[in-house]
Amino acid sequence: MTSGTNIQTAKPGRTLAARDNLLGLAFIAPTILVFCAVIVYPLVSAIYLSLFSIYTPTMEGEWVGLANFQELLAKGEFWRSLANTLLWTVGTLTLQLLFGLLVALMLHQNMLFRSLARSLVLFPYFLSTVVAVLMWRWLFNDLYGIVNHMLMWSGLLDMPVDWLGRMPNAMLSLIFVGAWKYFPFVVIAVLARLQTIPDELYEAATIDGAGPIARFFDVTLPQLKGVLVVIVLLRAIWDFKEFDLIYLLTGGGPVIATQTLPLMVYKEAFALNHMGVASATAVLMMLVMLTFMIIYLRKARD
Amino acid sequence: MSGLTLRNVTKVFGSTTAVDGIDLDIGGNEFVSILGPSGCGKTTLLRMLAGLEQPDSGEISIAGKIVNDLPPSQRDIAMVFQTYALYPHMTVAGNIEYPLRKRGLSKAARQEKLEQAAELLQLGELLRRKPRELSGGQQQRVALGRAMVRDPQVFLLDEPLSNLDAKLRAHMRAELIRLQRRICRTMVYVTHDQLEAMTMSDRIAVIRNGRLQQFAPPQEVYDKPANEFVAGFIGTPPMNFIDGRLAADGSFRHGELRLDLGVLQLTQGFQPAADGTPVRLGIRPEALCFDDDGESARVTVIEPVGHELIVMLDYFGVEMTARVAPNCEWSVDDEVRLRPVIDQLHIFDPDDGRRLNAE
Amino acid sequence: MRYIPRWLRRCLFNLFAWTVILVIALPLVWMIITSIKPQSELFLIPPAFFPEEVTFEHYRRLLTETPFLTYLRNSVILAGGTTVLVIVVATLGAHSLVRFNYPGRETLAGAVLFTYLLPSVVLVIPLYFLMAALGLVNSLLSLVIAYTTFALPYALWLLRSFMSAIPADLEAAALVDGASRFRAFIDVILPQAAPGIISTALFTAILAWNEYLFALVLINSDASRPLTTGVMSMLVTSFNIEWSLLMAASVMMSVPLLVVFVFLQKYLTRGFGAGAVKG
Repeated sequence: MTSGTNIQTAKPGRTLAARDNLLGLAFIAPTILVFCAVIVYPLVSAIYLSLFSIYTPTMEGEWVGLANFQELLAKGEFWRSLANTLLWTVGTLTLQLLFGLLVALMLHQNMLFRSLARSLVLFPYFLSTVVAVLMWRWLFNDLYGIVNHMLMWSGLLDMPVDWLGRMPNAMLSLIFVGAWKYFPFVVIAVLARLQTIPDELYEAATIDGAGPIARFFDVTLPQLKGVLVVIVLLRAIWDFKEFDLIYLLTGGGPVIATQTLPLMVYKEAFALNHMGVASATAVLMMLVMLTFMIIYLRKARD
Repeated sequence: MSGLTLRNVTKVFGSTTAVDGIDLDIGGNEFVSILGPSGCGKTTLLRMLAGLEQPDSGEISIAGKIVNDLPPSQRDIAMVFQTYALYPHMTVAGNIEYPLRKRGLSKAARQEKLEQAAELLQLGELLRRKPRELSGGQQQRVALGRAMVRDPQVFLLDEPLSNLDAKLRAHMRAELIRLQRRICRTMVYVTHDQLEAMTMSDRIAVIRNGRLQQFAPPQEVYDKPANEFVAGFIGTPPMNFIDGRLAADGSFRHGELRLDLGVLQLTQGFQPAADGTPVRLGIRPEALCFDDDGESARVTVIEPVGHELIVMLDYFGVEMTARVAPNCEWSVDDEVRLRPVIDQLHIFDPDDGRRLNAE
Repeated sequence: MRYIPRWLRRCLFNLFAWTVILVIALPLVWMIITSIKPQSELFLIPPAFFPEEVTFEHYRRLLTETPFLTYLRNSVILAGGTTVLVIVVATLGAHSLVRFNYPGRETLAGAVLFTYLLPSVVLVIPLYFLMAALGLVNSLLSLVIAYTTFALPYALWLLRSFMSAIPADLEAAALVDGASRFRAFIDVILPQAAPGIISTALFTAILAWNEYLFALVLINSDASRPLTTGVMSMLVTSFNIEWSLLMAASVMMSVPLLVVFVFLQKYLTRGFGAGAVKG
């Protein structure tokens, strides 16, 4: 083999580390650009707009300072919407966790046609909200919906129930449909974690005398704790800001009985044409979310 | 001018100093091992040589040129990784050709070099396979082939044999030496296995906590360790240590044990006090004799390893390891007479570990 | 439990499990059945579960008498465009976050995560103004841009997870072999990340296909509507809600999802696992 070196001379100026960093920044530049345009700018705008009173169709307005906020906090509708949002979030999240855990445990066992079962279970999550809503509205139909008919046929009901037009049915239906649509997220995350729990832990517990219930509480649940904390946080945030499902299923009705904060923002902006008030509602909504997030993360850390 | 040089190279990660002011002068055509326990900084050192990490201070030169600001591709080096790092989506041929494609060689030139490497490493039949279809030893040869086709100034090897089973490892050790002699290039070999370092290197650089302990040929590191750490790290079974006091008259005391070390020459600047200075005595297992001039010791463990017996004894309260012929008929709890051979002993400072006896 | 023989326990469990699954899947099944029932059978009281007669009349009407095909075309363009844009930007960004080490990198990663949590309803108003100012209202391009607000953070999160699973040594080997950092990205990282990229692309496409709110606000003309708002507008504008048509439309809207599910399920669950569990 020939000798003689192929070492090149370093370019004067920047060090290798500096050039490397620049390249790294170049790779992420498109992301930053997009973010600034579609997230940072609108976010700042929203806060800015909340200080104005704007008429949506013309997009013209005048400065009102904090008047929008004062008006909102004084109005009962804001607090009602906040209460609805909390009720909806807690309700559907609880059901999502329960269904999710149960089905995950179920799918973790050996069963016939397991992969088909997994597909069917995942389906609701990936379905378009529009499709899900249309399906459930047809199912809940008071005259022709099979939900009513099956319940009457089994003797649990005497008369068809209006599932979406009356309270408390509307909120309950909403919570249930939300759970049906989003519980697969819990299933998949929990299942993935379940599959990493070493069999030896269960074997050791069995040798130590633990039955199936004890094994669940003493081995499974502690192992799931980490992933459950994350799931609860993510789903709580996503359920809290859910718009499509609620808007399409009940529209916030009857009246404002199922109106959540995201719906209120939309209504103020596009139905009532109060763009400024809508932005203020949005800002308040984010503050609420942020507060809960901080409290939750602090508790989870302990 | 060839080979490579490190001048006062330092690397800090957060609050840990991984590499602390290391100076090394490695000649062209030398096989140098960088030896040390896990976490001592040897891999960081190698990665700095490669250009995958940047030193916080100090200079690295390859073939006389400072390469601190050169990316790996421009340093004329090749590297074999512990995990081989073969490109999974390319065939063996594709893997070996990759550096040549990066350099812009023509298809014909690439083909020629590929065949050379394949012949040297006996990869001819494997050229169309993907890495996942190969055994550990085969993958290692492909990694070597990929390194060799570059014909670099320096080969960097990061514990390349640690993923192989014992028998294959022994075989590959010999292969690597043969290869290095044949291609006459500098090889820098990182390992935590002192046996590998001893059998393969022209010189060994022993590293501990980021600092260079000794840089010398294997026999010198074995016979004249620079400090207690090197003495204890090199050699298997490891060196025995006895703490005691050395007086100005050459007498060593540990409990009831008395040894006359007068025959050992001490380094300049070390003057034991009249009533004794604390020292640590180092005794290699082969420096222990069993004859009637010795003192009483009790056998505690006997480990037959086939060609000899490794015997552990209780000698004045200290556990000593010795090597004995396989036909010895001792059993546990036997009392035997043990005598250290004085002129093969080492004396170390118990605080900083440096060697206190000279040659 | 000791007295129940093993085979019986298995049997009961499978029975229970499949009952649960069928209950979950019931709405889907009912949707399909309704869409193939002839109009006459649709409004029977009590409703019959199995149709006496199967018809594809509703599908025919959907495709010929409604703007469904226009909506479909728009949704395809929308999903395709969003996916391409998001994948390109997110792959580069994920590589940056995983394999480089510049000051501020962790903050950026945290910021990306944070944006994931922003309500669309907050962003939609200023985005509406922005699109109006750019003259893009009623165009699919405005939606593609708007969709990056939620699609990009999610894609970054997923890709980051996939790409950090690629051994660092591979890129190092390529660098030593003579590749520049960019070439190492193209030659070694991208091929290894391919399955992850496919998963992410599928997720992004599904997200874009299903989105409603932005489409509602930013698009007003029927010619540019995607399926989600288009089909809902079909519901609203008629006096008699044409359930049969709507069920047929629902089934058709879900067909791509069905295809992905049947043939590419492993990509979905892999992506799901990577994104969800990593937190």
